[in-house]
Order: sequence, then C-alpha cells, then structure tokens
Amino acid sequence: MVSADPGSFRDPASHVVFDDDRVLRLLDDRGLEAWKHLESTPFFKQAVGSGRLITTTQVDDSPPDGTAAVLQHPRIPFVSYPYEWTFSMLKDAALLQLDLLADALASGITIKDATPFNIQYVEGRPVFIDIGSFEEYREGEPWIGYRQFTRQFLFPLMLRAWAGLPFQPWLRGDMEGPTASEMKRILSSGKRMKPSALMHVSLQAKMEERMSGAAVRGDLKDAGFSADLILANVRKLRSLIESLNWDHGVEGWSDYQSCDHVGRDRQAKGDFLRRALDRAKPKRVIDLGANDGFFSAIAAETGALAIAVDGYEPVLEELYGRSKGKSIAIVVSELTNPSPAQGWASQERSALMDRAKPDHVIAYGVIHHLIYTASIPPATVLDWLRSFDAPVALEFVSPDDEMVAKLTANKLEQELHPGRSETEFRVLLGQIFNIREEHTLEGDTRVLFDLVPS
Amino acid sequence: MVFGYLDAGSGSLILQAILGGLAGIAVAFKAWKARMMGKKAIAEAETEAISDETPVNTES
Repeated sequence: MVSADPGSFRDPASHVVFDDDRVLRLLDDRGLEAWKHLESTPFFKQAVGSGRLITTTQVDDSPPDGTAAVLQHPRIPFVSYPYEWTFSMLKDAALLQLDLLADALASGITIKDATPFNIQYVEGRPVFIDIGSFEEYREGEPWIGYRQFTRQFLFPLMLRAWAGLPFQPWLRGDMEGPTASEMKRILSSGKRMKPSALMHVSLQAKMEERMSGAAVRGDLKDAGFSADLILANVRKLRSLIESLNWDHGVEGWSDYQSCDHVGRDRQAKGDFLRRALDRAKPKRVIDLGANDGFFSAIAAETGALAIAVDGYEPVLEELYGRSKGKSIAIVVSELTNPSPAQGWASQERSALMDRAKPDHVIAYGVIHHLIYTASIPPATVLDWLRSFDAPVALEFVSPDDEMVAKLTANKLEQELHPGRSETEFRVLLGQIFNIREEHTLEGDTRVLFDLVPS
Repeated sequence: MVFGYLDAGSGSLILQAILGGLAGIAVAFKAWKARMMGKKAIAEAETEAISDETPVNTES
C-alpha cells in the first residue's frame, strides 16, 4: 500500500511516498528535468559514491497521475530530527550541506534549500537525502537557501558556541530556527562585534527589516551576480562553522563513570543483556537513558539497530564521536518529555516513540530517575515500558540504594509514590510482564530482570 | 530562473552578494543603485501623475 510521507510536501516538484518497504520519490516534469540533469553530472556519482548523498535509482513503476517519474531510495534505518541531535551532529550536517553546495556548483547544480531536515544520520555519518533539492544552476541566480542556512544551521550552532545555550529546545519549539534579529538580541555585545556576527546576524537583520518583500533577484542578476560569489560566501561560512566549538566538559560522563556501582556492575549487566538479546534476537533496540552508550554498543554488536536516547547532551556528544560505522542512532531527548508529533497538521514530524518502534527495550539505570526525580508512579513507569509491547531488560533500584538516597535527600516519605519497594514492585511487574531471568547485582540493592509482556 | 518554493528573504539575497567579497560588494552596490533608480523613476512617474490631476482639485 502506498502512503505519503507526511513530512514531504513543501516542494511541488518532488515528494516521497512509502510503498510497503520501498521508499519512492515522485517527480513532476520539472523535478524529472532536474533529476536527469543531476544524474548526468560527475558530482552526483562522486557524492553518492562517497556516501554523502543517498543512493537513488529511477525505477520502472508507472508514475501516478500528475507525476512524471519515480525514483527509489534505500530506507533510512532511523529518522531523527535536528532538535534530537548533539552539537557536533548539527555541525557535521552543516559542513556536509556547504560541501555539497560547493561541489554541486562546480557541476552547474545548485541546492535550492538548506535545512537539516534534508540530512539523516546513518551509522554515525550524515547523509543528504533530498534529491529533489538539486536543480540546474542558472547564471546570475543567488543562493536561495542562504537565509534558511543561517536560521537552521549557523544560528543554532552559535547559540551553543557563543551564548552557551542548547539549540534543541529552540529548534523543537520553532523548527524554522532563530531569525537574525532574534540572534542579535541573544548574543552578547562582545560576540555581536565579531566580524562574522556583524555580517550574518546584525547586517542580515537590518537588511531583512529594510527590504522586506522587495523583488531583488532580477536586480542581482542584472548587476552581474555569479556562482563565484556563492562559492566565496560558502568558503567563509565553512571556516566560520569549523570555528564554532562547544566545550561541554565531560564532567557528567566522568562522574558517572566514577560512581562505585557503575564499574562494578557493568560486566554483569552487559552479560545479562547479551543473554536477553540472544533469547529475543531483536532488530531494533531502544536504550532508554543510554548515557555513554555502553549497552547500546552491545545491542549494536548483535546486529540490531540501537537507538540511544538520553536527555543529557554531553554523554551523547561523546557517543557520537565513537559511533562511526556502528549501528547506533543517537537521540537527545528527555524521557519525561520525548519529541512530540508536530509541524503541519501535527504530522510533519512524528513523535519519537512512533519512529523508534523498538522490538526490544533496555531500561538500565533509568527507572529510579523517573520514579524519584521525575515523580512518576512506579506503576505508571511499568505501564509505559509495557506499551512498547516488547521484551524489556530492566534494572530495578531499591529504595535502599545509595543513588536513591541521593535522589531523595530532600524529599519526605509522603512525597513519594507507593510501589517503590522490591516486594511491591514485583507485584506490579507480575501483573503485566513475565520474568524470563533475573539477577541480583552485588550490593543487593539492584535487580536485573529480563521481562516479556504477558 | 531557479524556481524557489522557499522564501529566500530579499535582504538576505542582497547580503549574500556582499558576503561574496569585494566583487560581491560591487554587485550589491550596483543592484542597490538599480533599485534606487527604479524607485526614483516610479516616484517621478507618480509625482507626474499627481500633478496632472491637480487642476481637478483646484475647484474647491
């Protein structure tokens, strides 16, 4: 059955549909002309060959009414959005966008937009997926995607690198990204005086305000605008993006590593997980509260796709650095507030858990944070785990655990939900899961369960 | 011309010529001048049109 990709509708020349397992792109006459031109260039072969551009072939399917041709792409194992990426992921995507534009222009092609939603991560590397973005470059035309590039790549990176603010909440709240005038208000006066900020932020804000609605493309062409000017801008933007860095410190990660229970329990937890995965033989494993991705890596080693979700960006930034070539997808998102369905008709970007669709869950070292920090009742946490309708490798942490003592240091007994003790928890658990294996960790305050839905 | 479904922003389009370096600044200036000339020509035409209508208003 053919269904439209609800996130692919803005470009009238090209949109994506799903035909069971196949990912198809339908082109109109203009889209077909652009594709034919693109396909014939050395740029296309080089970009696909190097893995920077998604593999694309024209297929013989008869095009539906109103369309001229059908292309096929491989399916992206897990679709993630820029507001779920770490700083370096957005930075690498920005560099890919600029490099592809520079290389395309050398082959007489331009990219008509510049949004990170056109880039996906596959095995830790960014891949440009929107073939419909490429069009023949006609001399005298400016780079139409420049403003979008600044709003969706450059300014979010500046937010983190120059203002110390995470970009994910902004991009999740406003997927178009901050405007130049908003950035001007955010940056300190010192940062605003940097030459690159004066141009991309202050001057752009001023010019946008002054020239709103003016038709200038013809004027630029008549004045002698050329691809060389785009290339000069792209080169300078590249250096600017390269210079943006975020020193996240790894204090959270090293703190976690140095916790007594972590090093002590890792071996046992890893062995237990391997046995659980061996029994279930899953294809898609979600690692809830993945931290440094130690257990995601174990799942990936079994041949499954591991979706590592954590709300703490620094640990995932570290994991990203180690994820190249591994079947690990990285998602920055709080479990207590996972990315929602949003955008046009609340369907353009789908909810995190609707994309994840795991057939196995890892919930190690996480439910005590939900129960004690986020005040979610234990029964509700278990119902949520049951909602995945898949086996769960669960670590139960008893109220006597040293970490729980820290988390509840400023909470009164009556402020905590019932169901926290091991006895109560086992009753709740037994109502919706069967236990396939269990193992008490050294110290007797933590129990591992391999659960299957009952 | 490239058919854009994206609103590129008029100011951002002119700005990117400036960002192209010295040659770009010259292009931006030329484009800006052409705009000003065009605006001037429109303003003059409008002034002319208004002055043509002036006699009608003198009756009061």
